[in-house]
Amino acid sequence: MTANPGGGGRGGVGPAVGPAVGETVGRFELEGAWLVDPASGREGPGEIVVTNGILESVAWLESDEAGDVTEHGVVVAPGFFDFHAHFREPGFEDAETVATGSAAAAHGGFTTVALMPNTSPAVDEPGVVERIRSAARASGSPVEVMVYGAVSAGRAGEQLAAMGELADAGVLGFSDDGAPVRTPGLLRSALVYAGMLGLPVIDHAEDVELTAGAEAHEGYVASVMGLAGWPVAAEVGAVARDLAVLAEALADAPRARLHLTHLSTAAALDLVRRAKAAGLPVSCDVTPHHLSLADEWIAGARRWAWEALGADGRPRDPWADRALVAAPYNTSLRVNPPLRTAADAAACLAALLDGTADAVATDHAPHTVVDKEVEFGKAATGISGIETALGVLLCLADAGALPLSRAIAALTVGPARLAAAAAGTAGSSAARPRGLIEGASADLVVFDRSDRWRVTPESLFSKGKNSPFVGRELPGRVLLTIAAGRLAYEDPGIGDDAA
Amino acid sequence: METAATPAPSTPAGTAAVAWRHRHLLDVDVVTWPEIELIMRTTDEMKGILARPIRKVPALNGRRVTTLFYEASTRTRVSFETAARNLSADVVSIATGTSSVTKGESLVDTVRTLEALGAEILVMRHGVSGAPYLAAEVFGGHVLNGGDGWHAHPTQALLDLYTMRERLPGASLPGGSLRGRKVAIVGDILHSRVARSNIWTLTAAGADLWLCGPATLLRGMDRWATAWDGGAIPGHGRFNVTSDIEAALRDADVVMGLRIQRERMQGGLLPSLREYAARFQLNAERVSLARPEAIVMHPGPMNEGVEIAPDVAVSGRSVITDQVANGVAVRMALLYLLAGAREAAPGEVAR
Repeated sequence: MTANPGGGGRGGVGPAVGPAVGETVGRFELEGAWLVDPASGREGPGEIVVTNGILESVAWLESDEAGDVTEHGVVVAPGFFDFHAHFREPGFEDAETVATGSAAAAHGGFTTVALMPNTSPAVDEPGVVERIRSAARASGSPVEVMVYGAVSAGRAGEQLAAMGELADAGVLGFSDDGAPVRTPGLLRSALVYAGMLGLPVIDHAEDVELTAGAEAHEGYVASVMGLAGWPVAAEVGAVARDLAVLAEALADAPRARLHLTHLSTAAALDLVRRAKAAGLPVSCDVTPHHLSLADEWIAGARRWAWEALGADGRPRDPWADRALVAAPYNTSLRVNPPLRTAADAAACLAALLDGTADAVATDHAPHTVVDKEVEFGKAATGISGIETALGVLLCLADAGALPLSRAIAALTVGPARLAAAAAGTAGSSAARPRGLIEGASADLVVFDRSDRWRVTPESLFSKGKNSPFVGRELPGRVLLTIAAGRLAYEDPGIGDDAA
Repeated sequence: METAATPAPSTPAGTAAVAWRHRHLLDVDVVTWPEIELIMRTTDEMKGILARPIRKVPALNGRRVTTLFYEASTRTRVSFETAARNLSADVVSIATGTSSVTKGESLVDTVRTLEALGAEILVMRHGVSGAPYLAAEVFGGHVLNGGDGWHAHPTQALLDLYTMRERLPGASLPGGSLRGRKVAIVGDILHSRVARSNIWTLTAAGADLWLCGPATLLRGMDRWATAWDGGAIPGHGRFNVTSDIEAALRDADVVMGLRIQRERMQGGLLPSLREYAARFQLNAERVSLARPEAIVMHPGPMNEGVEIAPDVAVSGRSVITDQVANGVAVRMALLYLLAGAREAAPGEVAR
């Protein structure tokens, strides 16, 4: 098979790769694509050849050979790594399973996912880890499924989970995600014990006393909409607590490491920025939705966060702008932490650009219609986001706000470095470098940046249709995802051009 | 409507005719000033009907109005049902304490069931902000919001506006007649759907609106007030937020009290009802700061002795019973206007 993006048609990647999902890719050649290799920092026009699952050759073209190949056409990048996702199995299989989540991941260009342990039962002992791994094997998907263990038994915030046994079972770290590690005392123990094991604690930073009953970011929009405010202080206070406890824990466990997930506020990111400058072993991620959406979407606005920012750096007024075009109180926008202001979204972006944020993680949180088609304040929190992450980051890139290479790095080497820092994963494929490396197992995504696709309940592979992007077109149709040399996803239209 | 007994909104000379274009009434934020004037004129017609010996007209004969109340309410529900019956509609009344809702039925399922049972106009009261928007998305008929969470109570704001225009000297003349009139709303603003809907109508009416209460019960409202500074919202003026009760009441034309609920003490928002009453109660001395001809309003139910002194509630300034009577007329007007509005268009956005 030879693919030639210059050959016309939609991306021109074709004919079909051939094997079924899960089978080794026998031969795949792609000429005239834009290659992005965040491991080496290199990007430019080139060609790749995959043979028997191995990335046999990566040929970079000189500029005089490149023709009209640009970064705006077909792009090849290493397979994405989602540092924070929920596949709901075991316990909530009507919302997602490991199989459907893996299919969704591959459709989004992801070849590795790290799953949060808020399943039922929670991942608080090794048997549950094995159960999830076994579901991943049975799915036939080559997407690699990594698992976090719970910090506390039953995620109840009382006593530590079987952390040592979970580490032996190969978890990537520990988290009570969905909720914060409940008390500072438990967090300190968890950081020290996990530090002893060489693994990080991933905290969902929220002061739940301040957010009791909260419905939307506490601000102008919530005031007008009559929604109970979700204060910034709930995240900032929790981050401050976590950082103070981390500083103490280091005395007892020099390898203690804290990762703060889905940070959403300018003030919390600033605390992390200063803690990193002071040398604390802390990292953090931001989500595609907090980078791109603001709370005004709940009122019915549908413009990107960067379009909602005034010249003075303050959010614009969606009422004054007559920017309210959709029905308000759409529950696909109810998420924890909540959508913040356009200024906070800009702060998330700034953190990504200056390295304060180490990765973009989707917090893919699928929910059933039963849990979402209810009153706004009663709706489950979460956005089904693993299939739209790339498109959202490409919108940021198209707006000139985020270089393509930085977007790709945030989805690849960013999370991979976090995983590699976890000593317990040494030798695991999660810790392998994310690059276009000749002779290595092919792990890559091919997408057409200029080819837009419409997000619909039918076009999402996830069982969770709770996406605020439903009905919109996003750039960057994923044409092909190869995970560990095996076919993970192939766009059904690939063969069409050759016919 | 062909029969002579049915009202038809008349168009006063000099004002352009405005057609009612809203399928639902979920909040007053999307209602333009000419449309508010239309509601006011239609309410005048309904008041005329209510003044007759037989208060019933066949305007909604055979139309089916269902009231679905998820929160306890006597006054609003009875007011809507009386309004519907005055227009000869068939009324079905659902109180969720006695319905399938107690068995865990979702709002969406309940609304679909009521539609299948023939409901055409759904009047809804719900404790969660935004709930009527969800109902409107799945209901093929018309949704009339009877109050949702802290968000909106559009018929209350409209009856308040109607009562102000009726009772303030010279205010019933057409065209922004509350312009410059000072309206002070005092109480638990944070949790008040009445206050939020009144912000929209009164800033559109050109009133000099003041919201007053303990700072804990004004939370976030200053963001709204300052967002509009300079008249950024087309058609709306700015308003004031203060904890200075004397500044709020001084020279006011309208003084409106809001209910203070006991739960607010448990949430740590107020030390005690006694302390609230001492600092914010609308008593005779405070109300005397207002203009001599000022009126006193309250959406009810009142906690007499807490947010309002009993003698103020029944004084000659009080128009609280007028509010109740006008509530029926305003709701008749809205049922009439909604019933005449077009039916659902596929894929339509409920706003």
